[in-house]
Amino acid sequence: MLLEVLNLHYRHPKASKEAVAGASLDVRAGEVVGVIGPNAAGKSTLARLCCGLIQASAGEVKLGGEPLQKLSRRERARRVAFLPQDPPSDLAFTAREVALMGRAPHLGLWALESASDLARADAALAEASALELADRPVSQLSGGERQRVFLARAFAQDAALLVLDEPTDGLDLAHQVLLVDALRSRARKGGGSLVVLHDLALAGAACDRLILLDAGAVRAEGIPAHVLQAGLLEKTYGTQIDVVQDPMTGLSLVAPRITRERE
Amino acid sequence: MTKRLAVKSVAARAALAVALLLPVLAAAMAVGLAVGAGDLSLAAALHGLEPDATVLYKLRLPRVLLAAEVGAALSVAGVALQALLRNPLADPFVFGLSGGAAVGTAIVVIASGTALGTAAFSAASFLGLLPAQLAAVAGAMAAALLVYTLGRARGQLDPTRALLVGVVFNSFASALVLAVEAILRPEQTQAVLLWLSGTLGYEAMPLLAGAGLALLIPIVILIALAGQLNLLALGDEGAAALGVDVSRTRLLAFFAASAAVGIAVAFTGLVGFVGLVVPHAVRLVLGPDHRVVLPAAALGGAAFLVLADALARVLFRQLGAEPPVGAVTAVIGAPLFVMLLRSRQ
Repeated sequence: MLLEVLNLHYRHPKASKEAVAGASLDVRAGEVVGVIGPNAAGKSTLARLCCGLIQASAGEVKLGGEPLQKLSRRERARRVAFLPQDPPSDLAFTAREVALMGRAPHLGLWALESASDLARADAALAEASALELADRPVSQLSGGERQRVFLARAFAQDAALLVLDEPTDGLDLAHQVLLVDALRSRARKGGGSLVVLHDLALAGAACDRLILLDAGAVRAEGIPAHVLQAGLLEKTYGTQIDVVQDPMTGLSLVAPRITRERE
Repeated sequence: MTKRLAVKSVAARAALAVALLLPVLAAAMAVGLAVGAGDLSLAAALHGLEPDATVLYKLRLPRVLLAAEVGAALSVAGVALQALLRNPLADPFVFGLSGGAAVGTAIVVIASGTALGTAAFSAASFLGLLPAQLAAVAGAMAAALLVYTLGRARGQLDPTRALLVGVVFNSFASALVLAVEAILRPEQTQAVLLWLSGTLGYEAMPLLAGAGLALLIPIVILIALAGQLNLLALGDEGAAALGVDVSRTRLLAFFAASAAVGIAVAFTGLVGFVGLVVPHAVRLVLGPDHRVVLPAAALGGAAFLVLADALARVLFRQLGAEPPVGAVTAVIGAPLFVMLLRSRQ
């Protein structure tokens, strides 16, 4: 088991309501698990809790079977890699240098990378289809290009578990497909991912299991066809939603119903 | 688009930068030894002929060494503080260090003659320093501590908050100094002003050696932290996700940088622009990696201040007076800084 989350609670400082209120979930080796839910459902907070970036007020997070609190910072970073929603854009570092930063938890005192670290960074850039950006400063990249570079950094970290917060943000359709391919290919090699996604159809197509979060708690969990049901989604998101099975692939296509007044 | 050395490995780039900058520093020091207020025959001095030997060994050598040490300290501190604040315009003095040093000096000048003043004088002479210097270091360190305490949010040094506290404290301190100057005698005011504008003096060799060794500690700490300073550019959360203990790194880097600035301030007062211009120039040529930038900034900063001091001595030779070196670094540094800024666009 790569990640086990048990009855997790978290309240932002000075907030009245809990952002995460008793959530439980797990990610097994070889699995891509999607986290969906409306705004402020606690998706990003849950992702941060799983990486130990913020401290839960109650409940437990285990990485590779061991409680998160018992791991050193470096050991934690070797077990879980995190792709933030909005990576910094003003970096003078090149894409390759940023990918190399993913090697940090594996380096010694003076933090000098070896040739094998360099090779790993380039492989990660290729895996994230960002190798052609390698020598460009991150500050000169577009939002989608930057997203791919930071994805490469997460890949270079060589952690069994990957936690991604809105990784498709700013990616065009082709690169969304490439991202999903990269995650699936990692899964085939035994890696696991926990992915926060907004696009429900994409989540259904990319993930083995979905977790529907609402007000900090898990409202539904299971295979995409089980979670992506119009009635459930309409109640959670508070708007009318159509779910259609694609006759070609059998995948669920999800779209909000938008009615335009006729003139 | 900035140019970078086309070498991939960081260790190789750092070694190359050091190998290129060491001769530059040596050349700068040779210039610093060769020029000055009086005519000096280097050949005569090296053969032990007087008075040339005395001028070289007792006057110019200590002064050149002091300039090198202070230049290195200010540049390294500048690099570290810019990384900590994630603000490339941060100067080593923005954290309120200059204000603290100024208030410390002013207090000693007022207190001279009182019991407190006498105590400060004896403590300072024990350390081989002037009381004003000792008070300045104490003031600078007190300001650093104050900024660190007030500049925290949720138990961590918060860049924006610390910067604001530093700026506010500096204004507060300059108001205090102005008030103090109003009650000082003119010649006292003159002394405070000269010291605050950054002046290189002639220190004793053992003291210089001690200061050099003391400076090595913060510089080595900062170079060891260089990899983590790189990761801080990813933001606190980004660095933490890669295993960095962000608050410990900030604390260590902040106090190492403050100590380096404190030592520099003790000898020379406030020499501006070195900690701003040198890090920028180094980054422009070598890229943003602190594992390369920190050692290069130490050597480059040393060379820069040695040359600025040599220039000060040569330019004003005819006038029989010397401008404070802080004025020279500001006169060179300000236009250079604007040029660097514009070339980045």
